[in-house]
Amino acid sequence: MLILAGPVGEREHDGGSHPERPARIRAALDGVSDLHLGSDLVTVAARAAARDDLLRVHDGEYLDELESFSRRGGGALDADTYVTDTSWDAAVRAAGAGLVAIEALESSREGVAFVAVRPPGHHAQPDRGMGFCLLNNVAVAAAALVAKGARVLIVDWDVHHGNGTQEIFWDEPNVLYVSTHQWPLYPGTGRPEEVGGLDAIGATLNVPVPPGATGDVLLQAMDEVAAPAVEAFGPEWVLVSCGFDAHRADPLAELVLTSGDFAALARRAGAYAPSPGRLVLFLEGGYDLQALRLSTAATLGALVADLSPPEPPTFGGPGSEAVRSAALFRRRAMEELSDRLLAVDSLDAPVTERPRWRLGGSR
Amino acid sequence: MRAPARIAVGYDGSPGSEAALRWAAALARALGAGVKVVHAVGLLEHAGLAALSVHEERARAIVAGAGMESSRLEWCVLEGDPGSVLCRVAEGPDPAELLVVGTRRSSVPAGLLGSTSLGLVACAPVPVVVVPPAGQVG
Ligand SMILES: [Zn+2]
Repeated sequence: MLILAGPVGEREHDGGSHPERPARIRAALDGVSDLHLGSDLVTVAARAAARDDLLRVHDGEYLDELESFSRRGGGALDADTYVTDTSWDAAVRAAGAGLVAIEALESSREGVAFVAVRPPGHHAQPDRGMGFCLLNNVAVAAAALVAKGARVLIVDWDVHHGNGTQEIFWDEPNVLYVSTHQWPLYPGTGRPEEVGGLDAIGATLNVPVPPGATGDVLLQAMDEVAAPAVEAFGPEWVLVSCGFDAHRADPLAELVLTSGDFAALARRAGAYAPSPGRLVLFLEGGYDLQALRLSTAATLGALVADLSPPEPPTFGGPGSEAVRSAALFRRRAMEELSDRLLAVDSLDAPVTERPRWRLGGSR
Repeated sequence: MRAPARIAVGYDGSPGSEAALRWAAALARALGAGVKVVHAVGLLEHAGLAALSVHEERARAIVAGAGMESSRLEWCVLEGDPGSVLCRVAEGPDPAELLVVGTRRSSVPAGLLGSTSLGLVACAPVPVVVVPPAGQVG
């Protein structure tokens, strides 16, 4: 069974010629329709996230200013990110859709949920919108689960590093954040040495891969680097920051995946879930409409219909060595932090550690 | 302590970043230091969907105007957010020893953007100088 939460952003939050555009939602929905799921497709409408839901991951002052900026008509937040008069309403419903998806899975106890929303979320920081993102949808959902005592795995295969999600959960031991992303590329974070804060050493896992990397490289990252960490972590829920901008047709980056690769990645994510009904995929990036449609169908088809994707998976691109060295740098960074933690403990001093990659803002 | 030999300045072509570059060039000239002009490439610029917002010639002209030799300028374009790329140039094998940034000219409420300068102060392993807009510094 597929639970479709949303859609949000089919018309709202329209930046004109901007690539993060309403037509993306139609493309994703077309991908869902292509599966012909019949009664196996259940659509649940989004609702606005409550302020308390948002406050788990965002600063109140930021929320107030974003809302009033949008109500006044909005404008450019930075060179990449826009706000319109409908952005606030779209963003809070996009953030709420993930909560609705979780509730639907909690009552169905089976199936997979797809959160078809925009604006996307994984670059949004506690106090700052950036990289097309305003509110961090996947983080709002993960934080709600953590508040109920759950351990949450977030797999982020969007081609860009989810700096916002990483920052939000930097010191949260109940969230394992796993990201594969092109390097170098915006936002310039997500090095393998970034492994989490002293309270959550190893709970952030980054595998950057070079331009031209193929699907087999990302699967290698999942199998060789992520899988052992996931197994040790023991997630109760799996949330996916499901961007499709690593597709070879995407105009924003240079990885060369096909929809078939996303199907394989989805099977990995599905295998990380402890039981049926514990997997939620959140649409993030993906800016070529045809690739977005094909990839949505392939990803969800692999999970709920066991369909073979029309585009074969890719292999043989560069990045295998990068994955191996990521594992090495990660291990070294974790050892270093553990040594520091021991030193701090022996001094009985308070543990204070600020993330080194922190972008913008002070809290 | 000794004076910094390498100064990095964030540059996005905005008036604030030009003021920062002018100030950094004047300081570098006085100290005999080199200046690394760092431009952060965003999502749209990377994809060629936004016009290149900075030009090396303009940066070289600003540096020359501050009386600094153009040969001491290193032009540096890095993928990422301004905060993350400036932190990166202050790390690594040949790090900048001082970071210089301007302040934002913007109609956007300050609370929406965080602040690159405050974020840098929190994460940078080296001193950070925040230069006010042109006209307020000599
Ligand atoms: Zn992306």
